[in-house]
Amino acid sequence: MKRLAIASVLCLAVNAHAQTLDELRNDGVLNDAYKSDNVLTYGMGYHQQRYSPLSQINAKTIKRLVPVWNLSLDNNWGEQAQPIVYNGVMYVTNARHTVALDVGTGKQIWKHTLDWPADTPRVVCCGVSNKGAALYNGRVYRTTLDAHVLALDAKTGKEVWRSKAAEWKEGYSLTLAPLVANGVLITGISGAEFGIRGFIDGWDTETGKHLWRRHTIPARGEKGNDTWPQDNNAWQIGGGSAWITGSYDPQLDLMYWGIGNPAPWASQRRAGDNLYTSSVLALRPKTGEIVWHYQFTPNDAYDYDACWELILGELRVNGKMRKVAMQLNRNGFLYVLDRATGELISAKAYEKVNWASHVDPKTGRPVETDIAKSIRDMKATEHWPSTRGAKNWQHAAFNPKTGLLYANTMHEGRMYKHLETKPYEQGQRYMYIENLPMPRAAGEPVGHIEAIDPLTAEKKWRVPLTDFQIWSAMLASGDLLFTGKETGEFIALDAATGKQLWQFQTGSGINAMPVTYTYQGRQYVTVLSGVGGLYWNTNREALKDKVTPGGSVWTFALLPD
Amino acid sequence: MDLRAVTGLIFVSGSALAQPAPEQIRRGADVYERNCSPCHGARMQDPQGAFDLRKFPHDERERFVASVTRGKNQMPPWGGLLKPEDIEAIWSYVISAESIYGH
Repeated sequence: MKRLAIASVLCLAVNAHAQTLDELRNDGVLNDAYKSDNVLTYGMGYHQQRYSPLSQINAKTIKRLVPVWNLSLDNNWGEQAQPIVYNGVMYVTNARHTVALDVGTGKQIWKHTLDWPADTPRVVCCGVSNKGAALYNGRVYRTTLDAHVLALDAKTGKEVWRSKAAEWKEGYSLTLAPLVANGVLITGISGAEFGIRGFIDGWDTETGKHLWRRHTIPARGEKGNDTWPQDNNAWQIGGGSAWITGSYDPQLDLMYWGIGNPAPWASQRRAGDNLYTSSVLALRPKTGEIVWHYQFTPNDAYDYDACWELILGELRVNGKMRKVAMQLNRNGFLYVLDRATGELISAKAYEKVNWASHVDPKTGRPVETDIAKSIRDMKATEHWPSTRGAKNWQHAAFNPKTGLLYANTMHEGRMYKHLETKPYEQGQRYMYIENLPMPRAAGEPVGHIEAIDPLTAEKKWRVPLTDFQIWSAMLASGDLLFTGKETGEFIALDAATGKQLWQFQTGSGINAMPVTYTYQGRQYVTVLSGVGGLYWNTNREALKDKVTPGGSVWTFALLPD
Repeated sequence: MDLRAVTGLIFVSGSALAQPAPEQIRRGADVYERNCSPCHGARMQDPQGAFDLRKFPHDERERFVASVTRGKNQMPPWGGLLKPEDIEAIWSYVISAESIYGH
């Protein structure tokens, strides 16, 4: 009797901190098991739609949306993470800390602090950051700047295991949120600006044992290596990072990972398509087997890194519903692929593009212009979109009801030039380009917030940004969109028109990922504030009198009537 | 980068301060191009977010060397990677920017 009681108490205690594969599969999926209390996966569902049907906070009630708590994260490096929420506990990360906190009160439950070598940021191209945790079976998983993977006890924050993915001194780093797919913990790698050879890793969730490694550049003798020169070692130092969490289709048991740019950016010593850089890989989570690939930018000469979100959805194509993966690629084209086969369904330009005229629907390859030739001939060339892309990592959202993508895009060309490459030096920059700004016409937007049709790339509406680009992810929440500005405003827009309905000035700039969920029947919206990352790095002078560093968590709910 | 023209300029300008040797500037330019230009800008133009090195006082060599070696604000320490001679070479390049590029 007594033992039974103890056993049931134990079960309860474990359940409060356990996440099953079923829960992960159902996260964000609008079926009978849909549970709005939790946000368990990167992208608010394996499909990475960043969409919630919750409607307490809507276009009519938003005027009552107020902050309910704020928690300092004691960090000046910048906040980019997406919070994970499970049964009233929130887990947030940055480059230094992992914090568990109480959703109802905002009070900290535990905090785990990392200490990486002070010179690690040398091998981090684009901001000392972390994009969030994964949660599975009572453990919180995260990556570290010095390229380790960590498991913490979700209840106590105590370290359970720590595994080294790579040597940071060789240019490898980790900032992404891990993915748990089919019971395997999956991580990618950063460092394509340092001449790494990229990979995706599978880990045992219980022990941290390394299960498999899939290099993003095939070795000699492997299929695809013939897309690299055979008379030099370019493939061994050819980049191909994987720095954003892949999406996952549990029915097909396929993960979709966007792969980074080749190294160095200047292309003269790496003739060929350079697989699988600037591509998407469809992989099996248990083995890392490549089931199909699609390359967006063959022989990428422009840093058209394809790492970010492959959004999974269903679209009506010529009268037939198709399971697709969508990406607003850095190269200016919006791709829709059949996610079972990798077949190209559509690729339309969604921003100003001058390096290619179009994507050939038969070959699936971009058709390069004289601009591309001029760049490859090492001439300083006006180049659109710039190497930072028509969209960078600031994740888009997809509303399955409207069938539209909502995105923060960029309108930027630069004077771009390849330099003569010099021999690779381990752990040092390996880029060899010049990339200078061009004069901008008065009033010309620097970017847009926009609603885009995935198949035509037509804009349903478009809000121009004239001061700073937005490097915060988008959240589609019912009839609203939430996103955050570099200058600290957390804003809500009417998803039907793009009209701004609400804003709140947070304590620092926002480059993170808002989420929404319920707790005890009340809808909440949470976003991290804390300026950092690439955009701040490149605009610090312009922003210095407008925004101050300092990370914190902001949570909002409706003020009761 | 064509430093031949540059060298000529330096000799012509013949400033009172001792000018670094051209090979020293060239070495500094190489290290700068690889490791520093991503933040401080190609040829020190367009420093964007990092310190504008064109404004670094030419009589504060020690502060420059200490900042690069040990790190400063968001800049990581470089002393673990670059040799003291590399850092001296970057300094030579930095103080020569005006005579090389006219800015």
